[in-house]
Parts: sequence; structure tokens; C-alpha cells
Amino acid sequence: MAAAAAAAAASGSGTPREEDGPAGEAAASQPPAPTTAPGARLSRLPLARVKALVKADPDVTLAGQEAIFILARAAELFVETIAKDAYCCAQQGKRKTLQRRDLDNAIEAVDEFAFLEGTLD
Amino acid sequence: MAERPEDLNLPNAVITRIIKEALPDGVNISKEARSAISRAASVFVLYATSCANNFAMKGKRKTLNATDVLSAMEEMEFQRFVTPLKEALEAYRREQKGKKEASEQKKKDKDKDKKTDSEDQDKSRDEDNDEDEERLEEEEQNEEEEVDN
Repeated sequence: MAAAAAAAAASGSGTPREEDGPAGEAAASQPPAPTTAPGARLSRLPLARVKALVKADPDVTLAGQEAIFILARAAELFVETIAKDAYCCAQQGKRKTLQRRDLDNAIEAVDEFAFLEGTLD
Repeated sequence: MAERPEDLNLPNAVITRIIKEALPDGVNISKEARSAISRAASVFVLYATSCANNFAMKGKRKTLNATDVLSAMEEMEFQRFVTPLKEALEAYRREQKGKKEASEQKKKDKDKDKKTDSEDQDKSRDEDNDEDEERLEEEEQNEEEEVDN
């Protein structure tokens, strides 16, 4: 009982985990990136996935290892930033769960997120 | 290996963890919002790549480097990312340098190994060293695997 509670706490969510299978996301079948080694702490996002995104651009010939790493780190910072901005909207609505509309509001409100308009649908 | 658009998403588990750590305790996120943030992060990387590539082309280079990405951040009005990114880059470079030196040391030790094998076998000290080196090798192999990731 205590072990189960500890496991639930460790997974980081009080709500039951939802599987992404039916949503059609292939990412669900990928194992999470290992974060046990001290070196991996510098970037939580797997560099291989970031590299795949970079290579998806037809104009890009090559990208250095450092560039990939910085892009991964920048993506993490971006996720933190947009999550916090969206949370401000949720707080105003006195809610404790971030909804999709909070994200849409943040994108409209913040100039830096303008590049996202129309891309998330 | 066909690349579908879904494959270009970043792992949900990692995205969720980053979001949760950025927000106060007790705040949850809906599945739709999390999935939208994940897609937004992918779009961000694609957009940043494109901007960085412009800088590389201006410099008549074919390889994107760290400076191109930092310049792209400023171009995209994410100047606030530049300082933490520079710090992360410094740490990354130090780590890479450490790994390089470790693998060079390992190479030297291997060469040294070949020489000691042909020498007197009665020295037990060499056996101890061999054991230590094997353990070191295993650790380094683990590190190398992660770099290849």
C-alpha cells in the first residue's frame, strides 16, 4: 500500500496515466530517455530526436553536435516558458489544470509565440 | 525507415516532466494541452533550425554550429534564453572535453597493457591494475553509449 503510493508519487501524477495509443502518437512506443548518468543531466531531451527534427529541414546540410545540444536545451527552456505562461491564464480562471485553451490564449497574448499560430491544429 | 510526422515529436514522458517541474506543485495538465505543448516544442525546433540555417548560410558554412543557434534565438526574440544556453554550452563543452580525455587515457592504458603482458607474469600488482582498468572500461562504454544516443 505504501509502496503503491510511493510509486504513484514517483510517477508524478495523481491522475491515472492515459495511454497515447488511440491518439495515434507513435511517440508512446518510444522508451523515455535515460537520465541516470550524470552526463545526461545537461539535456533531458534525447539528442537523436532533436537531430531528426533538424534533418527534416531540406535546407539544412549538416548540424554540429553542439548545435543539436543547444537546440535540445532551448526546446526545454521553451517548454518551461510556454507552460508557465499558459498557467497564468489557468490561474486567472482559478483552475488547477492546464487546458488547451490556456495554451491558445498564451500564444495569442505573447508576441514571441506568434510563430505557433496555426501550427498546432 | 519511413519518417512520419508523428515520429518527429519529442518523448511525451520527458515533456510532461519538464512541464511539471516548471509549474507549482498540485497543478495538472490535460492530455490535450500536453500534446499541444509537445507539438509546439517540435515547431520551435524546426523554426529555430531554419533561422539558424540562415545564419550559417550567411557565413557561407554548410554546418550549423552553436553560434548560429544562439543568433537564431535572438532573431526569434528569445533573448532571455541566450544566457542560460551559453552556460549550458560551456558545461557541455567541459563534459565533452572530459570524455575525450578519458577515452584518450583509456587508449594509452591499453597500449600500456600490451607492453605489460609481454613482461614478467609474477607481478600481482599488474593484475589489480587490470581489474581496475576493466571496470573503468565498462563505465566509459556506458558513457559512450549515451553520447551515441
